[in-house]
Amino acid sequence: MGLKKLVDMPTLRLVEDRDRERDLPGLVAQLGDADAAVRRWAARDLASHPGAVPALAGRLTDEADSSVRSALFNSLARLSGDIVVTSLLPLLRSEDPGLRNGAIEVLSGLPDAVAPHIEALLQDADSDVRIFTVNLLGDLRHERVTHWLAQVLMHDSAVNVVGSALEVLAEVGTPDSLPALRCAARRFGDDAFIAFAIDLATERIGRS
Amino acid sequence: MHRILVIDDAATVRMYHRKLLSDAGWQTDEALNGVEALERVHAQEDDAVFDLYVVDVNMPRMDGYSFVRELRKLDARHQAPVVMVSTEAKSQDAVAAFDAGANCYLVKPAQPLALVLSAALLLGDRQAAIKASRGVRS
Amino acid sequence: MKAAAFLAPPAITDADFRKFAEFFYRKTGIHFDESKRYFVDKRLIERIEITGAESFRAWFVALRFEADGAEMQHLVNIMTVNETYFFRESYQFDCLVNNMLDEIAARKRPGSRIRIWSIPSSTGEEPYSIAIYLLERWKKIDQYDVEILSSDIDTTVLKAAQRGIYSQRSIAHLPAPYLKKYFTSHGENEWRISRDLVDSVEFTRVNLSDPADTRRFRDIDVIFCRNLLIYFDDLSRRVAAEAMFDSMSPGGFMCLGHSESMSRMSSLYTVRRFPDAMVYQKPLEA
Repeated sequence: MGLKKLVDMPTLRLVEDRDRERDLPGLVAQLGDADAAVRRWAARDLASHPGAVPALAGRLTDEADSSVRSALFNSLARLSGDIVVTSLLPLLRSEDPGLRNGAIEVLSGLPDAVAPHIEALLQDADSDVRIFTVNLLGDLRHERVTHWLAQVLMHDSAVNVVGSALEVLAEVGTPDSLPALRCAARRFGDDAFIAFAIDLATERIGRS
Repeated sequence: MHRILVIDDAATVRMYHRKLLSDAGWQTDEALNGVEALERVHAQEDDAVFDLYVVDVNMPRMDGYSFVRELRKLDARHQAPVVMVSTEAKSQDAVAAFDAGANCYLVKPAQPLALVLSAALLLGDRQAAIKASRGVRS
Repeated sequence: MKAAAFLAPPAITDADFRKFAEFFYRKTGIHFDESKRYFVDKRLIERIEITGAESFRAWFVALRFEADGAEMQHLVNIMTVNETYFFRESYQFDCLVNNMLDEIAARKRPGSRIRIWSIPSSTGEEPYSIAIYLLERWKKIDQYDVEILSSDIDTTVLKAAQRGIYSQRSIAHLPAPYLKKYFTSHGENEWRISRDLVDSVEFTRVNLSDPADTRRFRDIDVIFCRNLLIYFDDLSRRVAAEAMFDSMSPGGFMCLGHSESMSRMSSLYTVRRFPDAMVYQKPLEA
């Protein structure tokens, strides 16, 4: 007993078990296995199969195990691309915060693929979808982010969408954002939180 | 001195809620999602546990309902009232909050008086309640 | 030469500092308050100058919107302390021998195997510290077979770890009896660790972002992954946290660096508080 000596340790030399298929159809089939560990491994291995996006995204809504779900999202993030975006956008409407936020996390890492969809999302009839889109902008690395946020401040009818936009603007706002901030102040400035958030964003933008 | 943990993914909201609550005379700390909140809870020494939690519903990594459910599984010393704060105004969301173990539900943007009075009531802090209802202009 | 080169270096305004502090806290969990102004401002100015940005704002915009995460990595490097030495953050080793291992052992038959993974191995201080702690401070060491695995992406440091030669600085926190017992003097100012300890650690090269690499690791009972993930970008961090989760036995424990948090990476782990440390646990099977 005690510390095992190197010579006694064969563990890392275990050969990868080959009794499961690791090609695309085999892996996709394993996404539906009864064993969560099998599903999780399949989800992870599919990160190297671009054709797997529909299967990975399709599995999300049925997957109850959070570790498998996490693997599905991470593989989608690694695969990236337009199809990942179009497959995940519907999850912005999900009632499940885990699915919604998992999708937002992946989408926020795909700026070029997501950008063409932003304006339509910011016009969505559902104010929650607009809030989640603004949340997405919070981590999105795209040159239009400040412009989109300004549009929200000037035109969005829902106070919480404007509040979310002010949160992001405190970080990414520029002096060019100031007119939009003044517009938001005229429209919602009598709410104590909004007034606070506008002052904060203005302070963060600074004088330079 | 009462201690309140403010949990929200938005820094502006955390700052705002903390200002309102500390102006009312309480100590505050913050976390930006349910996981970090559980870390804050566990980090507290026995003589410094939280007396109230103000919890946002929609947060990444671990949302507000999940945090409250996890909180309610912990030792008695960590149990304290929960004010849930949400952008949702639908009645089923208030029910979900109560099912998760919350005590109170406010819709964002939280009005200063509503937040402070709810906190005062749940903390049993009569002086703070009196001060708040006299002094706050919403 | 631009006129700007003759001006004083940019001062960091209060608003700049707060903007930076909020961003950095959001991304890493590390919190800088006013008391850290000097420390932070100095380093921000350094980054602004090195990157050739004309102002804090220009530098911050580049940081926030950069595609590849390179500046963020430089920033994290400069804002954190990177030294490695024996018994660094030893409160976690205390937790290992005082609580974590006992809980794990309670679920295993005596004589069975307990597996500990230290990653990154760096030059070996961490896995060897674990080995010394086990031998000296875990009461049940003779009742179980403990395997120590240690990995790094850099083969140079792995070789150094296997050479096992350390500076005065590296052994400075070791209690004198342990130094005497496990090291011999080497040259003027160096120490060589015993071959027995070197042999008790299995060193491997691993890339945490590669599923094929991490697949080999199974049934791990405790992982020490300290001050590594903080240098990864968001996605790589999530992928690594998940790969390690996968490698663990149910009920296994994970220790991150003292300023790191799973809250920025993964919700799969449960937070556990022990007298010596707060650690993370893979849930026991339902």
